[in-house]
Amino acid sequence: MSWVGSRVKRVEDPALLKGEGRFVDDIHLPGMLLAAVVRSPFAHARIAGIDASAALAIPGVHAVVTHADLPEAFRQPLPLLVPNPAIRYPVMQHVLAKDAVHFVGEAIALVLADDRYIAEDGVDLVVVDYEPLPAASDFRKAAAAGAPAAHAGRADNIAAEFAVGYGEADQAFARAAHIFKEELFQHRGAAHPMECRAMLAHQDTLTGTLTIWANTQAPHQLRDVYCRMTGAADDRVRVIAPNTGGGFGSKVQTYPEHIATAAAALLTKLPVKYIEDRREHFLSTHQERDQLWTVEIAVDGDGKVLGVRGSLMHDSGAYLPWGVITPFISATTMPGPYVIPAYRMKVTCVFTNKVATTPVRGAGRPQAAFAMERLMDRVARELGLDPAEVRRRNYVPADRMPYAVGLTFRDGSPVVYDSGDYPACQQLALDRAGYDGFRAEQASVRAEGRYLGIGIGSYIEGTGLGPFEGATVQVTPGGQILARVGSSDQGQGHRTMFAQIVADRLGVGPDKVTVTVGDSGGVAYGIGTFASRVAVNAGSSAHVAAGKVREKAIKIASHLLEAAEEDLDLGDGRVFVKGVPAVGKTLGEIAAFANGMPGFSMPAGITVGLEDTSYFTPQRSTYANGCHVAVVEVDVETGGVKILRYVTAHDCGTIINTMMVEGQVAGGVVHGIGNALFEWMRYDDDGQPLTVNFGEYLLPLATETPCIEQAHMQTPTPLNPLGVKGAGEGGTIPAAAAIAGAIDDALRPFGVKITQVPVTPEYLLDLIHKKS
Amino acid sequence: MHPFTLDRPRDLAAALALRAQAGRNDAPAEYIAGGTDMVQLLQEYVRQPERLVSLAGLLDNRIEIGPQGLRLGVAATMAEVAADPAVVEQFPLISEALLNSASPQVRNQATMGGNLLQRTRCPYFRDVGYAACNKRAPGSGCAAIGGENRWHAVLGTSDDCIATNPSDLAVALVALDAAVEIRGAGGSRSLPLVDFHRLPAATPHIETVLEPGEVIAAITVPASSAARRSHYLKVRDRASFEFAVVSAAVALEMDGARIRQARIALGGVGTKPWRVPRVEAALAGASLEPQSLRQAAALAAENAHGRGHNDFKIELMQRAIVRAVEIAGARA
Ligand SMILES: Cc1cc2nc3c(=O)[nH]c(=O)nc-3n(C[C@H](O)[C@H](O)[C@H](O)COP(=O)(O)OP(=O)(O)OC[C@H]3O[C@@H](n4cnc5c(N)ncnc54)[C@H](O)[C@@H]3O)c2cc1C
Ligand code: SF4
Repeated sequence: MSWVGSRVKRVEDPALLKGEGRFVDDIHLPGMLLAAVVRSPFAHARIAGIDASAALAIPGVHAVVTHADLPEAFRQPLPLLVPNPAIRYPVMQHVLAKDAVHFVGEAIALVLADDRYIAEDGVDLVVVDYEPLPAASDFRKAAAAGAPAAHAGRADNIAAEFAVGYGEADQAFARAAHIFKEELFQHRGAAHPMECRAMLAHQDTLTGTLTIWANTQAPHQLRDVYCRMTGAADDRVRVIAPNTGGGFGSKVQTYPEHIATAAAALLTKLPVKYIEDRREHFLSTHQERDQLWTVEIAVDGDGKVLGVRGSLMHDSGAYLPWGVITPFISATTMPGPYVIPAYRMKVTCVFTNKVATTPVRGAGRPQAAFAMERLMDRVARELGLDPAEVRRRNYVPADRMPYAVGLTFRDGSPVVYDSGDYPACQQLALDRAGYDGFRAEQASVRAEGRYLGIGIGSYIEGTGLGPFEGATVQVTPGGQILARVGSSDQGQGHRTMFAQIVADRLGVGPDKVTVTVGDSGGVAYGIGTFASRVAVNAGSSAHVAAGKVREKAIKIASHLLEAAEEDLDLGDGRVFVKGVPAVGKTLGEIAAFANGMPGFSMPAGITVGLEDTSYFTPQRSTYANGCHVAVVEVDVETGGVKILRYVTAHDCGTIINTMMVEGQVAGGVVHGIGNALFEWMRYDDDGQPLTVNFGEYLLPLATETPCIEQAHMQTPTPLNPLGVKGAGEGGTIPAAAAIAGAIDDALRPFGVKITQVPVTPEYLLDLIHKKS
Repeated sequence: MHPFTLDRPRDLAAALALRAQAGRNDAPAEYIAGGTDMVQLLQEYVRQPERLVSLAGLLDNRIEIGPQGLRLGVAATMAEVAADPAVVEQFPLISEALLNSASPQVRNQATMGGNLLQRTRCPYFRDVGYAACNKRAPGSGCAAIGGENRWHAVLGTSDDCIATNPSDLAVALVALDAAVEIRGAGGSRSLPLVDFHRLPAATPHIETVLEPGEVIAAITVPASSAARRSHYLKVRDRASFEFAVVSAAVALEMDGARIRQARIALGGVGTKPWRVPRVEAALAGASLEPQSLRQAAALAAENAHGRGHNDFKIELMQRAIVRAVEIAGARA
């Protein structure tokens, strides 16, 4: 049997369920200092001076570290990791604020003390002399001429401008039978993993190695940024990501606090730990926040799309740690699963005095899906067609795969949908949802004064982005099978997934494979866990490496057993002679031979060790796809929305573990429900955040989450040996679109049109009021 | 959190003496009961008492029902009162209001007294990053009036504060004509709950008529047939673990298909739990016809005053009244 494709129980869970997980905050090193951070209370201010003397006078406070106290190599901004020629001002945040702060929560100083309580008392006593400056808050206002500058001295707040597209969009519009235009405001809040950021840095005095334990999604990147800034050698710095309580994109970035904590450890020659609290997380962990889309669609008389064009404004926040990645992905995802003959999108990125925005689960795609799906619904409404039918007329048909869209993706490769059957996927979702029977139900409850509606959200998702991820598979003379992967796990179940892949190649059970993830010391190079890329990249690497180990084991066994390789087979952890299972060698015995014997030469043609390291480098992204159907009930008197049913049909290529894919999709949908109805990071006109706890920032709870009914399709991609596509973000991408479509549909009698997410009760009441 | 000392006095007299040394609000000493609100305020530096006086074990926690009505010892938890079979049967409004409040964990810990004295959820009040909040820092101004105010009150506001009282329980109790027993160093007194909370006027930092050091000892609710035919309707952004955007507590005495007497209080819209006598008067003798309910409910909006983001509450509260009356009226 094959382990890939089985519902293998997660190897991670027993320890987590028993409370034996080890998170950064569970690590206690002798002499360790606890850090608390002095953060800016102003969205924009000059720093005229800092007086730490009162804090330093508190017994138990060891040091206060400000910009001026940092070693020289640390007195610089973090590097811009994903440059783009469109960026006009590549402004990056300093490790600790130098002479100005640009958002509420920007780190100014670290107070290091015997415990966190003392450190926080110290923070209260650090006197920072601020000269407040006017702040750019709402990105729409900030983009206008004459708005307060987010960075003093700049003429305007336009961080970057670019356009993407193909074909002759204006010509398509000139000959269209119908043109429909929408202005869509979309807010996405933040990621909000349950575990906030956590880090611990310690330089070993014996070896000189700096070890940083951090709940990062990208240990290698953190190491590389640190080395790039300080000139340290790669092998003197090790980043380990232990158990991590969620990330959803927010923990991909290397943050100033990471580097500051490391600097503090070097300065004090003691281990330094910093654990972010929830309020700090609301203030200073990256978010995704606001986009404004002004989009137009041109269709012929049958509702077939001729072109799409428009502009997209994106709230970048105060800095550009990942350049313009999010709006770039948004703009290049807009065509979605449809044949759009001509497309043009102009993108403007705006600086505001708010924490930087970087990708959150879905990474700009949910907004693109929302924009495209709102247009599809609009076409259906205006032309009197069923929304499912309009989509059907426009889907890329299965026989046009692979389908080149005409765009260039963020990795520079052309956007080519490799495989999938989008019309069939929609049909699967509609059938599951009982779409055809819904209208009758809708009509009958409407007679009772109840408003039910159904909505569709379709999407594609570029997943498995390169450049690579590495894996080492090794068999020890003791017979242990070890797999080491650089990317880290935030709860997805990566160790289970790798164990399944390696087990298949080496003819053992997954329980026989010990997987280590999230250690920059495990493999030399790595990129990180984001963009639904680990199964594609690291999974393929593990598959290839385990295959190499398998070949080598057979080759050595052929030497030891004096049998031809073709006559050998591998199973139950042994290589044996086909038909004569008693004659064979265990993998441990083979590994012992490959590790050599003192004084004996290696036999000709046999290299040292039963081990292989592979770096799978995908040619380009694979495209997963799916279709969601939501059924909602709207209370037209209170503006309340209840999701009655939620159906997903999803194609992520070969499924490695159905149970884990279902978990990813369900979790993703809940994120999408939050974006559709609840999560709103509010700021006032001065850039002061208003929602800094979960009382004010609403996450969906069990009461808001329907049973998520899932159907799967599997169209393996030809782009990697496993045939897998990413599954981590698809649940989120079309959710807001499907829910908004359903609300529209429910409120048809009022002629209401949703052009904003989240949909709040007062927004709905206002729409209904205006129409009735 | 600022350092403080925690006193755990042996008896109430000692507690009263300790606390009475202090002033009225934001005083150097404060009581703490279940701690679910107080600890949050301490953590966020909103309250910075030098000393906390624990009421644990000092006050009655009994739930008693007799012919006169209900008596709740203030130390009873929200969970205990919500689940008490006699309360569920004879005062469903109270149980519903409690079960629609907070989360099971909070309800297990939070007391009746603490619930009536919980502080507003105005985000400016709860974030010391904002200088202007008359309730937190008297005389500093009100950030909500010109700021984000979708959460704020439309009734009973002043130019100095527009914060709502967040308690669901208080709304239900005010509808049921509850009274509070107050105990202080000088003795005891009893007072209708509707007179217990104060309007903000020019002194929003003084929220109740409690004198320094006084505690609430018990809540009494008179027996009435209306208490059985009641409903607590809570409109909120999320179906659990969330405060009211608007709520309506309704208790009805019916005369066949007509309302003999209605008692109605609103939450989420007033600076204190808000009784609407004009609506009640208009409903006396009315049928449950939507038209007459709507006309009566419109009277709740007299003197209502929105500040922009919260304008929607004025219409929403009328709809909440109508629906709550309909639901209560349909009950046996
Ligand atoms: C996440 C969350 C959600 C919530 N949601 C809701 C909700 O939906 N609806 C709702 O109504 N409430 C809600 N609450 C508030 C909750 O009901 C209150 O926190 C709780 O009732 C306070 O009770 P306590 O015993 O913990 O009070 P404490 O926190 O101990 O005290 C609160 C205040 O009351 C004073 N005090 C306490 N007892 C007495 C007494 N006997 N005499 C004089 N003063 C006294 C204290 O000095 C203090 O000022 C929520 C709370 C949380 C944390
Ligand atoms: S409404 Fe009241 S509590 Fe809120 S900021 Fe104004 S004064 Fe403070």
